[in-house]
Amino acid sequence: MDKPVVVYEPFRAGMPPMRDYLRTLWGRRTFIAEFSRSELREKNYGTVFGQLWLVLNPLLLSGVYFLLIYVIGGSSDANRFGHLTATLFLFYLISNSLTGGVKAITSGQRLILNTSFPRVMLPISATVIALFKFVPTLIVFAAIHLLIGLPYSWQMLWAIPIFMIALLMGLGMSILISCINVYFRDVSSMLPYLTRSLLYLSPILYEASSVSDEIKSIQIANPLFYLLDSWSRVVVYAEAPTTFGLLHSLIWALAIFIVGTYFFLSRERDFAVRL
Amino acid sequence: MISLSDFKHEHSPHSIAVSVKDLGLTYTTSIDKKPTLKARLKSLGRGKKHTRIVNALSDVNIDVHYGAVLGVIGSNGAGKSSLMRVISGIVPPTQGRVEVYGSVSTLLALGVGFNPAMTGRDNVYLGGLAAGMSREEIDKNFDAIADFSELGDAIDAPMRTYSSGMYARLAFSVAAVVEPDILIIDEALSTGDAKFKEKSLNRIKELRSSDRALILVSHALATIEDVCNEVIWLNKGTLMARGNPSEVIAQYRTFVNARKSASSDEDV
Ligand SMILES: Nc1ncnc2c1ncn2[C@@H]1O[C@H](COP(=O)(O)OP(=O)(O)O)[C@@H](O)[C@H]1O
Ligand SMILES: [Mg+2]
Repeated sequence: MDKPVVVYEPFRAGMPPMRDYLRTLWGRRTFIAEFSRSELREKNYGTVFGQLWLVLNPLLLSGVYFLLIYVIGGSSDANRFGHLTATLFLFYLISNSLTGGVKAITSGQRLILNTSFPRVMLPISATVIALFKFVPTLIVFAAIHLLIGLPYSWQMLWAIPIFMIALLMGLGMSILISCINVYFRDVSSMLPYLTRSLLYLSPILYEASSVSDEIKSIQIANPLFYLLDSWSRVVVYAEAPTTFGLLHSLIWALAIFIVGTYFFLSRERDFAVRL
Repeated sequence: MISLSDFKHEHSPHSIAVSVKDLGLTYTTSIDKKPTLKARLKSLGRGKKHTRIVNALSDVNIDVHYGAVLGVIGSNGAGKSSLMRVISGIVPPTQGRVEVYGSVSTLLALGVGFNPAMTGRDNVYLGGLAAGMSREEIDKNFDAIADFSELGDAIDAPMRTYSSGMYARLAFSVAAVVEPDILIIDEALSTGDAKFKEKSLNRIKELRSSDRALILVSHALATIEDVCNEVIWLNKGTLMARGNPSEVIAQYRTFVNARKSASSDEDV
């Protein structure tokens, strides 16, 4: 019988052996799924009304914002509404991932202090939950798309890689912020301001094309700006995204994911003594 | 650092299961209630210390062999749970080295990973997956778990409707089906009513075998004396004694009684 010998030595900030880590993480995938499911269930999304709410909530939100644009901007058209809903829904995938992730570690104290498992599972599960909430909104958007008569084309297949980038971005942010919140617990109370600012700074209530070049160059610092713009081009206007927009979001997503995972993995063994 | 290597190991009786050398462990807790960015920024200029170090274990040396049933005793805060956490790899040691030869399953707190919103049935899966079992293993053992817990139809009711005894019974039942090389049980025996207590104790006795190592943490000294063949006594993070159960327990009793009478003298 092959028996592993495990040696535990004092913590040093450094990466765990990646192959073993990934292997255990993969071995724990059913736990991730079951854990996410139970979290969703706990928030009543297991019931019919809970699921209905998952659809109604984003619909109401976009209705409110549409009204806001209409009142302030004076004019609005179908494209504008399509743009608003499409980008708002994708934005919520990322911001739900952030809000779910921020307390993933600090509220998992009991689990962390009593079982050993790859800790990164917890922020991953937060993103899985955000994804669960995103799927119904996608269906709502498909219906809106049809109802208001937006165009279709093959270019819309670009939605798949853009969605993957968004998911990677959400995952990276969730991992990063869950780790930061262990060391600075007030980050979770600052987060609503952060997501709110991101919402207003990103091309959701307005379109990227209406922004001056000056502001656009500043928006390079906004990880979501070109991601949401590309998403809107693809799913609302059925056009191809710009190469710059695609690269900008991919590089940001990769950067956040890599930095977040590095911080997390190199410190996760230290979490238990700090909770 | 964790280093895993494949290693041929038969773990014949008396071969080593866990070796703990010069182990020290400190927890870092913040002086303010929680570490915050605000507090950190405020204390930046003044170089104020914002964390407090709690010494939970120092210079602990023990070897646990296969076939042994090791009892761990000591008063609250002695560091028993901390020692178990280090052995199961939950907390890295601050000093020293721990070597584990085999798969460890820990019952550190009952019902970890349970979600009260779900039914007992769902929680068997959730708890089992948290403990490292696969879905197939749980499927295979589900009937045994349900039987052992004696919950009957209540297994399909949400766990928030359970009494604390029922909760603990299900939790113990899930844990009792795992058959690891090294099993650690931290104060999980003293749950449920007298009948269930006896049942779980019998289960522990069944699990005793020459190719398994058991570590039991408990305040029930009689149980420890009954089940274990070796006992260690921890006090304030240091190892006070180890050896024959009746001897160590007697020492511990004298120590506790001496302290008790000393403090009751003060009261007068
Ligand atoms: N998560 C933690 N953070 C800070 N201090 C802790 C933590 N867990 C335990 N301690 C401290 O470590 C010491 C040993 O605790 P513990 O191992 O739980 O003792 P026991 O299980 O023997 O009652 C105690 O002083 C306790 O306050
Ligand atoms: Mg304890």
